[in-house]
Amino acid sequence: MIGYLLRERRSGGDCVVVRAAKCALIAAATAAFSGGSWAGEPDVTGKELYERHCVRCHGARGEGVPDKCADPLGGSQSLADLVQIVDETMPEDDPSQCTGEDARKVAQYIFESFYAPEAEERTRQARIELSRLTVRQYHNAVADLVGRFLRDGTLDERRGLRAEYFSGRGFQRDKRAIERVDGVVDFEFGEGSPNSAVIAPGEFSARWQGSVIADSTGDYEFSIQTENGARLWVNDLQQPLIDAWVQSGTDDDHRATIRLLGGRVYPLRLEFSRSKEKTASIHLRWQPPRDALAVIPRRHLVPDSFPPVFVVNTDFPPDDSSAGYERGTTISKSWDQAKTYAAVEIANKVVANIASLAGCKDDAPDRKERLVDFCHRFAQRAFRRPLSDEQKQFFVERHFEGEEELNVAVKNAVLLVLLSPRFLYLGIAGNQVDDYDIASRISFALWDSLPDSALLQAAERGELRTPDAVANQARRMLADPRARSKVRYFLHHWLNIAHVDDLSKDNTQFPGFDGAVAADLRESLDLFLDHIVWSDRADFRELLLADYWFVNRRLASFYGAEPPEDDGFVRVPRDSRQHAGLLTHPYLMARYAYHKTSSPIHRGVFIVRGQLGRFLKPPPEAVTPLDEGFNPDLTTRQRVALQTKPAACQTCHAMINPLGFAFEHFDAVGRVRTDEKKSPIDASGSYTTASGSVVTFAGARDLAEFLAASEETHRCFVGQLFHHVVKQPAAAFGKDELDHLTAAFVASEFNVQDLLVEIAKTTALQANDQESTIESQ
Amino acid sequence: MRQKTRRAFMRDLGLSAAATPFVWGLAARGSEATAPRRQRLVILFSPNGVVPWNFWPKEVGEQFTLPEILTPLQPFQKRVLTLHGICNRVRGDGDSHMRGMSCLLTGIELFPGNIQGGSDTPAGWASGISIDHEIGSFLQGREETKTRFASLEFGVVVPPRADPWTRMVYAGPNKPIAPIDDPYQMLRKLYGRLQDQASLSAILDDVQEDLRKVRDVVSAADRRVLEENETFVRELELELRAASQDQTQRQAPELDGDVKNVNDNIPTLSRMQLDLLVNSFVNDFTRVATVQYTNSVGQARMRWLGIDEAHHELSHNADSDTASQEKLTRINQWFCQQLAYLLEKLASTPEPGGEGTLLDNTVVVWTNELGKGNSHTLDNIPFVLAGNGLGFRMGRSLKYDKVPHNRLWLAVAHAFGHRLETFGKPELCGGGPLHDLT
Repeated sequence: MIGYLLRERRSGGDCVVVRAAKCALIAAATAAFSGGSWAGEPDVTGKELYERHCVRCHGARGEGVPDKCADPLGGSQSLADLVQIVDETMPEDDPSQCTGEDARKVAQYIFESFYAPEAEERTRQARIELSRLTVRQYHNAVADLVGRFLRDGTLDERRGLRAEYFSGRGFQRDKRAIERVDGVVDFEFGEGSPNSAVIAPGEFSARWQGSVIADSTGDYEFSIQTENGARLWVNDLQQPLIDAWVQSGTDDDHRATIRLLGGRVYPLRLEFSRSKEKTASIHLRWQPPRDALAVIPRRHLVPDSFPPVFVVNTDFPPDDSSAGYERGTTISKSWDQAKTYAAVEIANKVVANIASLAGCKDDAPDRKERLVDFCHRFAQRAFRRPLSDEQKQFFVERHFEGEEELNVAVKNAVLLVLLSPRFLYLGIAGNQVDDYDIASRISFALWDSLPDSALLQAAERGELRTPDAVANQARRMLADPRARSKVRYFLHHWLNIAHVDDLSKDNTQFPGFDGAVAADLRESLDLFLDHIVWSDRADFRELLLADYWFVNRRLASFYGAEPPEDDGFVRVPRDSRQHAGLLTHPYLMARYAYHKTSSPIHRGVFIVRGQLGRFLKPPPEAVTPLDEGFNPDLTTRQRVALQTKPAACQTCHAMINPLGFAFEHFDAVGRVRTDEKKSPIDASGSYTTASGSVVTFAGARDLAEFLAASEETHRCFVGQLFHHVVKQPAAAFGKDELDHLTAAFVASEFNVQDLLVEIAKTTALQANDQESTIESQ
Repeated sequence: MRQKTRRAFMRDLGLSAAATPFVWGLAARGSEATAPRRQRLVILFSPNGVVPWNFWPKEVGEQFTLPEILTPLQPFQKRVLTLHGICNRVRGDGDSHMRGMSCLLTGIELFPGNIQGGSDTPAGWASGISIDHEIGSFLQGREETKTRFASLEFGVVVPPRADPWTRMVYAGPNKPIAPIDDPYQMLRKLYGRLQDQASLSAILDDVQEDLRKVRDVVSAADRRVLEENETFVRELELELRAASQDQTQRQAPELDGDVKNVNDNIPTLSRMQLDLLVNSFVNDFTRVATVQYTNSVGQARMRWLGIDEAHHELSHNADSDTASQEKLTRINQWFCQQLAYLLEKLASTPEPGGEGTLLDNTVVVWTNELGKGNSHTLDNIPFVLAGNGLGFRMGRSLKYDKVPHNRLWLAVAHAFGHRLETFGKPELCGGGPLHDLT
């Protein structure tokens, strides 16, 4: 009963009272059976009192008993409150039976054993928890929910923008002199014309059309640099993002910012016009989130115009990442406000674009029917399942009854859908996981988004009930950009580089290492990750062992490699005795380093936590690293060893330091060095495995060989991928879920794509109560 | 709780327009108790010059007859001030229409640029801020005159292109501001959040019902999150209710259904915009507004006056073309009627929380980018002031001797307590604020 009463104090509600009364009868019967008052037994413990009198309704660990008091005992009341509640209200039929010392004992037992949040956390069994959409899932779901009412775009291999050049300023068809595809828009026409054979010097105009691919989610600043007139549209071909048609004064760099979602393609158009200005030039540039301003590279431009993407601009509070991955198991007032604002934002945009979304002109004679139909489909897609007649009435049709302004009806229906838990939460089906739940689990796992039509149709036909069927769908879905985007999202979190804002280094020590090099490095790492993960073998070990990387001209010149012929990135070999895949990639080496010096501690922690999955306690006290000037003759290795010498430090640093030292051949920008402070580099290290054997290595390459073959690394990678993908504790899917997946991973020659498919397979069909998986029905 | 028609719902919800700040931060901001009297400025623009002999009073001083174009101002003659001899002396790049427009409220040259007019060298945007934004940001800088918007820019059928002929308001150098010529868009800007609140209020009961249904099918352990969610929704509902109960008498205007943004609807659109303007003053959303009819070189065809020709084309015809001059006189008289409509609304609306009417605390400046259409002169720019908001001595016809218009804007700024040394091009500010106004 306690659980109900406490909950009632928080939120009220009629059904609670009714069910509380039912529990009271059972409590009374229990009390009668036990033969009288509880008082007067000085030696009895709280546990004994609980087991004797409370367990039948509340369960052995307060977990609740179905049909009695189903709610678990747990909450945030203080012990004093709990004592008072037991004293005054328990048992309900005769609260005087348990008062004073007895009430205190029972309450204390309940509190310490399972009621308090910490106790609950300790004893709770892992289970699939009801989760709201994470921020990433919300954004993607909305983009797909609205976007599916528009035509689809298909991304192929072609890159660059469709270009048309006109003599004269008017874009007149009969004055079109050149049609071609431009890889980038980065032109200095000077006093001449794009091609003097067909366009005389003087007035001319040009138009580029196509789409732009965004890799990461966030604010993109676009820039058009020109001394002439130009206009740029991005994602909205009606309203220009930048209107610099009027050239005025010395303003020649026009910028504007727009929020884009990663892994999606946005329509883009650029118009240019030269009138009487002496010279002509145009440069189309952007600054993606956490990146440098640069000409938009060819690989991000597409000659086809894609439909616009629906991007929510409302800011959401960050998701809870305390478990090591973003999950939606808690809500807050600020989340509630954000989802309300977002729903209003979306509803307004839907109404503003209703003609194109519903495919229905404002003066269509059957407009009402069409809008009702649109709302039905909108709700079905948002809820990821068909609507019952009752639901159609509740969510849609009621809003149209007696409503003169159809747009108001649409807005209300859309708002109600977007604020419904059926849209906002995953796994509200209770224990009965059905075909549509399976579809949602697959799509949210692989895409962080709604199921597409093919998946929903398979659900409708009951074709998702076997592991093989799920695997087939998963394989199909891996080819989608949304899967690529999600995998990249995971890899960035795995490498702890999702939120690197600044990689700047000491200018005098590392001249030339600027924002552009840092941005190139990130691009280079992404290309490397994509190259391996999306290759046929998708071999995890290659991530750690590959003896090549990707460079453009700038990186080649800074890091000393053969410069590529064009502006793009090319794959070049690295010395395999020294280098090891992403582990020695300069981006990570620079990320895990200080302003001037390498940081063996950061590098070591990255290996311990990120690769080996070992647990580290936080440092016992905050310690300022010893300054380089402390003893200028010491090498970094010597300095770190000296600072972490105390026994209190060594409990963890005995593991961290020797792993970090293995990277000492790489300085703070990831360049190879052979000596430091005139001493040759000592990159020897060691590691004691979880099972107690000691491994030694002579440097990064050695360490990488060990990691690539280590079961600890495999299990750690599998666990992290699992949690970022599924966003539920692995144990909720069975005690041996990770063992099983790790074994499958090894058996597939460490194929990352196969692992994703296997995760989808084993989780999609899991029942919520984890008693049984869904059998073929 | 079902939602009503837009009109009914605006009527109901306009009531809470000036309610205390709520989650959406909607209401006016100034504190009424301590504030000095509100002062307001409206600048009303019509294009293509006037017919001088039908526009300027012959007499100087308090005894003057309103010429034909100004006859609609008769009821307000005691509150009108005509200023002859004010000139736009800004030179530099751009043709007269461009400079007439983009230097009108800025008083400073255009940047060199790529826009070629009918003559002269090509030009870009104005190189300074316009007087409405200057005063608006001055008022925003003081707690007692702060409002929701620093200024509002209304338009009536402004062509959908951005160039120095279509922009007179500037937030700063190279920062032209587009007027909003769609009254529904302006309504959304002013009241959109109230509409959102209404929609939310209408469905929050349903959201809770839905949450309860779902709560019953999930496991006991998962119920906690949904209960928490319900609590938040209930809190939001209470906040919305509190906001709508905190009502004042201030109403949003009722807008007629779908009025298309086209030439023939100019009279209706004009009324709608002026109604919204007065309404935004009543609710103290702003103290500064501009109204731009079409654009410089505007081509309104006033068929409702029986005039089929386009305005700018007519304005090029010779003085001796009496038929054209008669039409231009009627066109300008129509603009003057719009001014009179605005004055009438202001004069019949009590000052909220204060004494007198809105017109007692407002000055409307009616102006134009040219003195005369066929000569394209920037001398004798039409400036007709009305209302008592700035402490000027009204009910007079004044004549000046080629005074730069910068000095008029200085005088207006000073009347707001904004004691600028110069405004726009400093060389044109000699002599300081325009004399003889008070």
